[in-house]
Amino acid sequence: MDTQDHNLKEPLEQEGLTVTQGVTTAVPEPPILEPEDDDVVPQQARAKRHVPEWFEVIWSNRKARVGLILLLFFILVAIFANVLAPYSPTDISFGPSQMPDSQHWLGTTQAGQDVFSQLIYGTRTSLIVGALGGGLATIIALVIGMVAGYMGGIVDEILSFFINLGLVVPALPLMVTVAAYSPVKGPTIIILVIGLTGWAWGARFKRSQVLTLRVRDYITSAQFAGDGTLRIVFREILPNMLSLTVLSYISAAIGAIGAEAGLEFLGVGDPSTISWGMMLYWANNGGAMITGQWAWLVAPGLALAAITSCLMLINFGVDALSNPQLREE
Amino acid sequence: MALLEVENLDVTYATKQRPPLFAVRNVNFELNAGEFVGLVGESGSGKSTLGNAILKLLLPPGRITAGSVRFEGKELTTLPDEELRQMRWRDFSTVFQSSMNSLNPVTRIEAQFQDVMAEKSDLSNSQIHDRIGELLQMVKIDPSFMRYYPHELSGGMKQRVALALALALKPKLVILDEPTTGLDVLVQKEIMHNLRTLQREQGFAVLLISHDLGTVLEVSDRVLVMYAGEMVEDAPTHGMLKHPIHPYTHGLLGSYADPAAEEVEISYIPGRPPDLTRVPKACPYAPRCPEAIPLCRQAKPQLLPMWDGKAACHVAQMQWNDEQHNHTRHSEEGPKLLDAAFSEATSHKAMKLEGEEVLRVENVSKTYQRRAGFKTTSMNAVNDVSFNLRSGKVTGLVGQSGSGKTTIARMITGTEYPTSGAIWFGETRVDKLKGRGIHNYRKHVQYVFQDPFSALNPVHTIQYLLMRPLMNYGKLNAAQARQKVRELLETVGLTPAEQFETKMAHQLSGGQRQRVVVARALAPDPDIIIADEPISMLDVSIRAEILQLLDKLVRERKIAMLYITHDLLSARLLSDEILVLNQGHVVEQGAAKTVIRQPTNEYTQLLLEAIPRLERPDHVRASYVPTAEPTKVQVDASPVSEE
Amino acid sequence: MRYFIRRFLFFLLTLWTAVTLNFIIPRLEPGDPAEDIVRRLAGQNKPIDPAQLHAIRLMLGIPGGNIFQQYIDYLNLLFHGQFGVSYTYFPYPVTTLIGQSIMWTVGLVLTTNIIGFIAGNLLGAFAAWKRNSIFDSFVSVGLSFVGTLPYMWIALVLLFIFAFQLQLLPMGGGFSETSTRQMSWGYTLDIMQHALLPALSILITGPIGWIMGMRNNMVQTLREDYTRLAIAKGLKPWKVALLYSARNAILPNVTGFAMSLGGIMGGVVLVESIFNYPGMGRLFFEAVGNRDYPLMQTILLFTIVGMLLANLLADFVVGLLDPRVRKGKN
Repeated sequence: MDTQDHNLKEPLEQEGLTVTQGVTTAVPEPPILEPEDDDVVPQQARAKRHVPEWFEVIWSNRKARVGLILLLFFILVAIFANVLAPYSPTDISFGPSQMPDSQHWLGTTQAGQDVFSQLIYGTRTSLIVGALGGGLATIIALVIGMVAGYMGGIVDEILSFFINLGLVVPALPLMVTVAAYSPVKGPTIIILVIGLTGWAWGARFKRSQVLTLRVRDYITSAQFAGDGTLRIVFREILPNMLSLTVLSYISAAIGAIGAEAGLEFLGVGDPSTISWGMMLYWANNGGAMITGQWAWLVAPGLALAAITSCLMLINFGVDALSNPQLREE
Repeated sequence: MALLEVENLDVTYATKQRPPLFAVRNVNFELNAGEFVGLVGESGSGKSTLGNAILKLLLPPGRITAGSVRFEGKELTTLPDEELRQMRWRDFSTVFQSSMNSLNPVTRIEAQFQDVMAEKSDLSNSQIHDRIGELLQMVKIDPSFMRYYPHELSGGMKQRVALALALALKPKLVILDEPTTGLDVLVQKEIMHNLRTLQREQGFAVLLISHDLGTVLEVSDRVLVMYAGEMVEDAPTHGMLKHPIHPYTHGLLGSYADPAAEEVEISYIPGRPPDLTRVPKACPYAPRCPEAIPLCRQAKPQLLPMWDGKAACHVAQMQWNDEQHNHTRHSEEGPKLLDAAFSEATSHKAMKLEGEEVLRVENVSKTYQRRAGFKTTSMNAVNDVSFNLRSGKVTGLVGQSGSGKTTIARMITGTEYPTSGAIWFGETRVDKLKGRGIHNYRKHVQYVFQDPFSALNPVHTIQYLLMRPLMNYGKLNAAQARQKVRELLETVGLTPAEQFETKMAHQLSGGQRQRVVVARALAPDPDIIIADEPISMLDVSIRAEILQLLDKLVRERKIAMLYITHDLLSARLLSDEILVLNQGHVVEQGAAKTVIRQPTNEYTQLLLEAIPRLERPDHVRASYVPTAEPTKVQVDASPVSEE
Repeated sequence: MRYFIRRFLFFLLTLWTAVTLNFIIPRLEPGDPAEDIVRRLAGQNKPIDPAQLHAIRLMLGIPGGNIFQQYIDYLNLLFHGQFGVSYTYFPYPVTTLIGQSIMWTVGLVLTTNIIGFIAGNLLGAFAAWKRNSIFDSFVSVGLSFVGTLPYMWIALVLLFIFAFQLQLLPMGGGFSETSTRQMSWGYTLDIMQHALLPALSILITGPIGWIMGMRNNMVQTLREDYTRLAIAKGLKPWKVALLYSARNAILPNVTGFAMSLGGIMGGVVLVESIFNYPGMGRLFFEAVGNRDYPLMQTILLFTIVGMLLANLLADFVVGLLDPRVRKGKN
């Protein structure tokens, strides 16, 4: 029994060698094992203290790095739009339907507004709609997906039904219908409509994620440790879904930006809004085709594509966070 | 010329972002036609990587970085893809680990034979069909199963289909990578027996890769042992049993014993393998080796012939040289084992304490209703089971998967309700508890999980994980709980505690994680611990260590333990009482030693027979003294270069 | 069997919910459609004549009674195929209008999507098989940029270049006003010419989702044991790629195909309205512009039903392709 207790008290790792001291003639020397700290997963231990690991992973992905820089650029443009734009976007004092020149880099609209200024101010709308519309959709998706996945049983059956319903209902026509009935127009209502109709994909995604997480032993273990349901959901499950949640938030933001542009292009928005979707609407209806104003037509679409691309690039990095297989080799 | 020659083989996993992992280093061995060779190693030893490298099936970023693999003299590492493809399956084939995934899930069994046979043989379609039938019969599967899809077969059947598939074109070499891991011992035994018989009849060579030295020794002619990416021993089976040359092999052998022996003892190897992102400059086993001498930490030993095999060990080599020069024989004496061992005799259960009853299970049954279409079938998972748990005593619940042992555990912990019968915890009816009642009850009943890799949430520190039960049940404040965490860590042997509490689970080894799991179960100071296969996911060489820990805690803290296992050896070692469970019925029940030494039930006997018997002379244990004085060892020999 | 029954029940339940939703949405909104139309007919600021209002109500068939009675009436009307009268094309019933346009849309959507699906999956499988090749980098980086371009913008640019600037193709519509509208080679060619730009607008970005999805799925299935076993068997590389890896990787995409039709419908609305294509999308666009609620709602309902049918079909196909699904596991 003595030997046993002795063994148990021995430190487990390299010091374990000392167990042998009494019985071999070998003189134990400091072993050649590396320091305790990082011998299992050395790459993790090397992350610098002040930079969180997740950021390091995202930043180490070349595509994501480009995306983050681009996003920062768009945010700066949106914040300093009034500084960057040469004119007020609503100023109609310029000649109508001008081709691009040194005064108006992208020409003017049919009403005589500066297209370039509108383009710069439009960044604001897209970013806000993306952030809020995507955020609303993600929150709804998170709640529905997590409740369905964690509760299981009849609650899951009912919520899953609504998720599936949300998946088969064509989003844009539904949004258009809802927005068309709405008595008020403008970005707020569009954000609400996007959030309320665009959560289904995310909810499905999160439900299946919770389903795999909740049967993990560590959830049972937390139950045995006496943790309550809320604590388990928020402290045990949610942190493990963080990268997936960010992933679906960015996807939802991409969807929201696209949907907003689509809705405004179809004319359910407030015609006085300055946004890229509205610019396309006016370009199409204001005769940009006939007057040959290619810049008015091309610029907002490219801007939309650029902001969507930059979000997608960030998603590549977040994807790598949740799926190490996709990390760059 | 040998059938397969592997020379100085290096395999490296190199990615841009992480330091490269040198998974296989400087491996040399040969395999002759018709030979049955086992390749043994623990997780991370590089054995599967070696198998995949030989087959040229390494997944990126794994790559052969040096050395050669020759099959019948043909260099495989540089062979053009098309030529290699022609050789595949006709010359060498493989069986993967018994996963759900090795057969294409969307096509029928027949099609998976058909495609390769049609492409690589001259048989007509109807001949192929007949041949598939023959092949299936060969592995004792009715030919009608060829119309089935993989998911319609059991795990054991799938594995036999995979074996039949590997033999379809009568290859000269079959590489099997953990072909029976995860299957029940009886099925395992049958498949291994089947394989050995077929191999004798058809004369193909086999490389059997496994973590389980016991199984490998039972069926192989020769055994290769890998440690930390290096080949440390290569010896014939009978020689290895009689005289394991390398101390690591010796250590592994110590993890096996005959559970039906009068006295049972198993040992473990303290410590863990090195990090392979840094190539060990010396013997990789030295830090764990009880016999290490200074040279072992300075120079890398070569795999050299000695006695009837080969080994890479400085100490053994000196001993061998000494023997050659002095014409003395030490060979009957193996290297000595360190006394890191767990035996029935030293276990605290030797103290004959009558524990008081803590939990009583009375005639408990559990029936599951299963609906298939409009028919409802009921399945008796547990049938009329009665036993009690006593404080300071271990009750072993032995059974195969599907025997109902986990269902019993779930009913005891209140996660599931019995269909009939009662479970008493003192005056409390456990099977009637709900909500808050269960919460309170769980302060007294804790669980040790099978898989330490999934039982600890990867996002939390060890400290957080251990504080939760303390704060929930012990009503401690955070500061008190933090203090208690250190005590707990020290109790389970994780010292110094300060170093462990700030870590995340993924920074610990399997054995350390399992200790954390045990600590978490201890935190509320429970009366009962349910340990569900707590050692089955751990490396063989450290299992005894965890058993020893459990034993100590149970006896010292007067905890009643239900030890659930499929493994009779550990059940014999740890338990006072054993229940053998077969398809929901208790078929045998009694004192551990009696049940295992004098089983009356046929099923228990079958289980016992399925355990690999290592017929090892007793005197292997005798200790020996290294012949060379450490101080005399010449250390000026330049360290072996790595690549 | 259980699997198919379950799917069919889901279909019925979803159908009912969609129908109900269609009933609820307009009633959640403030205002009265009859009032609305009277206002529009009479001008914004004139007082409303109650008699006129009542007349319009009767004419449009706007139901009265309590909400429950309205719901029953609504279901009853739906059951008899009466979806109301269009405000815009008064007094045509909306079914007539939809009947005239539905084939145009179905033709456009089906052709572009089937081409997009097949091409996308093949290209995606090829990219995964040749992972890290130039083709793969082009697919995984280059195409994802193209994929971010909005449908409407692509349509506008195509229209601008090919119709307005180069004048190679018609500016819009489904056929020329001058055409005979008789089955003939000339008429077919005319239709094709008109459909080319709308189809192209969808096809430029349409397959990209499939390419990316297939590539990612197949990168996973290529690492699966069954694929590695197929390589170990020494099968011809194309067999390994298609019969083992791609065969399994395509399963999620088949389910995705039906789901994606919802997104496609959004694109179709935009594209059709830009090209003035005589399909349901443009009709919907018009209905929105004119606040033609019956038309708008009926089109939405038809679209949902179409989506449901497509999903039912996709479930059926998945059941055929994946034996594991047939076993009643959901």
